[in-house]
Amino acid sequence: MRDTPLSRFLEEFRRNKVAVGAALFVFVIVLIALIAPLVTPQDPYDLAHLVLRDARRPPGYVGTGGYTHWLGTDSQGRDLLSAIIYGLRISLQMGIIASGIAFVIGAVVGCAAAYIGGRFESLTMRIVDLQLSFPAILLAFVIAAILGQGRYQLILALIFAQYAYFARTAHGAAAAERQKDYVEAALSIPLSSWRVVLRHILPNSMPPLIVVATVQVASAISLEATLSFLGVGLPPTEPSLGMLIANGFQYLLSGRYWISIYPGLALILFIVSLNLVGDQIRDQLNPRLRR
Amino acid sequence: MTETTSNMVATPLLEVTNLKTWFPSGRGELKAVDGVSFSIAPGEVLGLVGESGSGKSITGFSIIGLIDEPGRIVEGSIRLEGRELVGLPSHGLRAIRGKTISMVFQDPMMTLNPVLSIGTQIKLALEAHENISATDARQRAIKALAQVRISDPETKVDFFPHQFSGGMRQRVAIAIALLHRPKLIICDEPTTALDVSIQAEILAEMKELVSELGTALIWISHDLAIVSSIADRVAVMKSGNIVEIGPALGVLTKPQHDYTKALLDALPSRAKPGELLLRGSGITDAAPPPRKSATANLPPLGGPYLVIDHAVKRFEKPVGLLHGLAIKSGLSQPVTVVQAVDGVSISLKRGEVLGLVGESGSGKSTLGRIAAGITVPTAGTIRLNGQPVMSAGRSPKKITTRIQTIFQDPFASLNGRMRIGDIIAEGPLAHRLVSRAEAPEYVKQWLAAVGLDPTFANRFPHQFSGGQRQRIAIARALAMQPDVIVCDEPVASLDVSIQAQIINLLIRLRAELDLSLIFISHDLSVVRRLCDRVAIMYQGRLVEEGEAGAIYADPQHAYTKRLLAAVPVLPQAAE
Repeated sequence: MRDTPLSRFLEEFRRNKVAVGAALFVFVIVLIALIAPLVTPQDPYDLAHLVLRDARRPPGYVGTGGYTHWLGTDSQGRDLLSAIIYGLRISLQMGIIASGIAFVIGAVVGCAAAYIGGRFESLTMRIVDLQLSFPAILLAFVIAAILGQGRYQLILALIFAQYAYFARTAHGAAAAERQKDYVEAALSIPLSSWRVVLRHILPNSMPPLIVVATVQVASAISLEATLSFLGVGLPPTEPSLGMLIANGFQYLLSGRYWISIYPGLALILFIVSLNLVGDQIRDQLNPRLRR
Repeated sequence: MTETTSNMVATPLLEVTNLKTWFPSGRGELKAVDGVSFSIAPGEVLGLVGESGSGKSITGFSIIGLIDEPGRIVEGSIRLEGRELVGLPSHGLRAIRGKTISMVFQDPMMTLNPVLSIGTQIKLALEAHENISATDARQRAIKALAQVRISDPETKVDFFPHQFSGGMRQRVAIAIALLHRPKLIICDEPTTALDVSIQAEILAEMKELVSELGTALIWISHDLAIVSSIADRVAVMKSGNIVEIGPALGVLTKPQHDYTKALLDALPSRAKPGELLLRGSGITDAAPPPRKSATANLPPLGGPYLVIDHAVKRFEKPVGLLHGLAIKSGLSQPVTVVQAVDGVSISLKRGEVLGLVGESGSGKSTLGRIAAGITVPTAGTIRLNGQPVMSAGRSPKKITTRIQTIFQDPFASLNGRMRIGDIIAEGPLAHRLVSRAEAPEYVKQWLAAVGLDPTFANRFPHQFSGGQRQRIAIARALAMQPDVIVCDEPVASLDVSIQAQIINLLIRLRAELDLSLIFISHDLSVVRRLCDRVAIMYQGRLVEEGEAGAIYADPQHAYTKRLLAAVPVLPQAAE
């Protein structure tokens, strides 16, 4: 077998059974979300398929469509299982896109600040610190409220709330890497600043960024769910998990628990799994936690 | 008690028989210590010598019962005054540890608690084995510090570890180890992290203390010369076994085992200046690839080449706006300025090897970095063949590729995320010394030239040992086809035999490529072997400079004399 940093990483990851289970779960969820139209019994957004007679039915109810609603139906007669899968698909999309862009922006800002130093570093890092001093949900809420409802607006709000975490992490890691001998060695060849940052500092600053990324995808998803629950997130035409929970909320006390509980459960399971994977990656990549 | 004292003469203090300490690893067991037997009489000093990975430290840790999980003693016995220590429960071991056997570790910064004062730490060590009042403990602490020659112990007892220098910290660690008058002290490379002159002081004091107190001592070290100056008997370890044990003088002057001979022959102090070391070769090296850059307008060999003129480097923290105001109004202390290099002028002749010697903090590394164009000097000029090394302007950049650098720690100086081939080819590609098509072949040639298998090009640095990594670092520097190489302690972190290989490689490549070297080192014997000229640095200034032979034979400056006197020397066999 070839001995590369990646192969060593996977080798070590395999030893934590819980993390492997969580990673598998995440993988399955992502896969199901990707092929949602093929696996769901119903297209929950196609109004033609919704029958109001089937609304608010408990789990296990066999509806007019002739198939079983394993998790029941919501107030519009939507199959909850299908709605959850589609909701996950949207939540996942939002989380990954927003975190991905925030990752790139944060890594560039952080590395550049650490490498250039001086006034630029002080200025950018103070802005980042200022942002970090507010709760992410507050920032996202304000931005989403200003921009209004919609997919792109929400992504923008999420990026704005999240890039600071990446920038702070990237800055810390890059500032540490900057001092190391191999960077001095590269500068003494001499190689250009661009090359030193992109080929030397950035790749070595990746481990903590990857850790933050796994946690931030999870937090972006829960942020998005929160915003949607509060009504400033996605429009009702694109029901994410947060909106499903919000919709079922009013029936919670009348015994129709499934409309809210199952999407909530799906959200919790997914976020916990993501965090378990993230924890294991952090343990592995952080040399201080090594025994 | 009387019975044991009468038996003392007959029974050794410590008897280790067939000790095996293994560590389970991915592929079977790592046999760190594999059948070691030796014994120590009361008051005897045993030197335990070996290269890294030989199991010498693990032997020490096994005796004091500090083997980390999952490692364990699988076989053998350790008897202290006839009492078996292997298999003793942890509280039993704790009663012995620090009281009957104590230990001094390599890095005193790691073993002293930074948030407790020295007095408190000594008190804690005392309380571990006896009931003692606070005032008594303080008195004992002051006495203990005085014993290890710490001046003004009444004040120093309230100091924190960071207020001491490295040597003083190690003295404190020794004082703690001596607190309970142990019968045996195990010292694991206690002077390796220290400067030569401090090392010499500590060695002399330790020798005096153990003979005064009648304590037995196990001195673990990789340095044969240090061990020879302190030990009565020497044991040489190799891959978990003792290959040779005997009286110090006998082992070091008339070694029986081949490995001991090889170890001795690898010592730079054993060879004549300029010659290859006896046991350094090992791997046959190929000739380096031909030079591509023009060498026409270079000065003749021996002409001045790299000229450093009045180089000054001050390190000061930049003062922010608020902080500046606070200093001006007297609310805050002015920032302390460290003058690392204080107006040094020196020139390197083409083709020569200039040794830059000094202790830590002397500014030798900073001067080297200024010469290599890594550190921007605060003042002064550095010119290579008349051309400035760094560009002018507010943020100067290095503009020449003719000076390259080899760093001390080959584990830190290679980017762990790049393949060896990319590491070596990166510079030459960026500066168009080779085309992308030529690069793989070029890398192979350099790998062969530094004695590595050319097929290693697509491996990562972590797959190599320290010596191999240093070869890679040398290949990276040489692939830029430089005329001058600044070597910053390039062998300081390597084992003696590997050290010899790297020195031999440098000697050979220097001759083949007409290189000029600035060789920064604290090791005077290595410098003697390799350098034509020597410059001694002390507190940022050049105190003495001249031909290596002349300086070693007849040092002029008081500091140089002190430095040379502190170098531990091996006993020479009468031939």
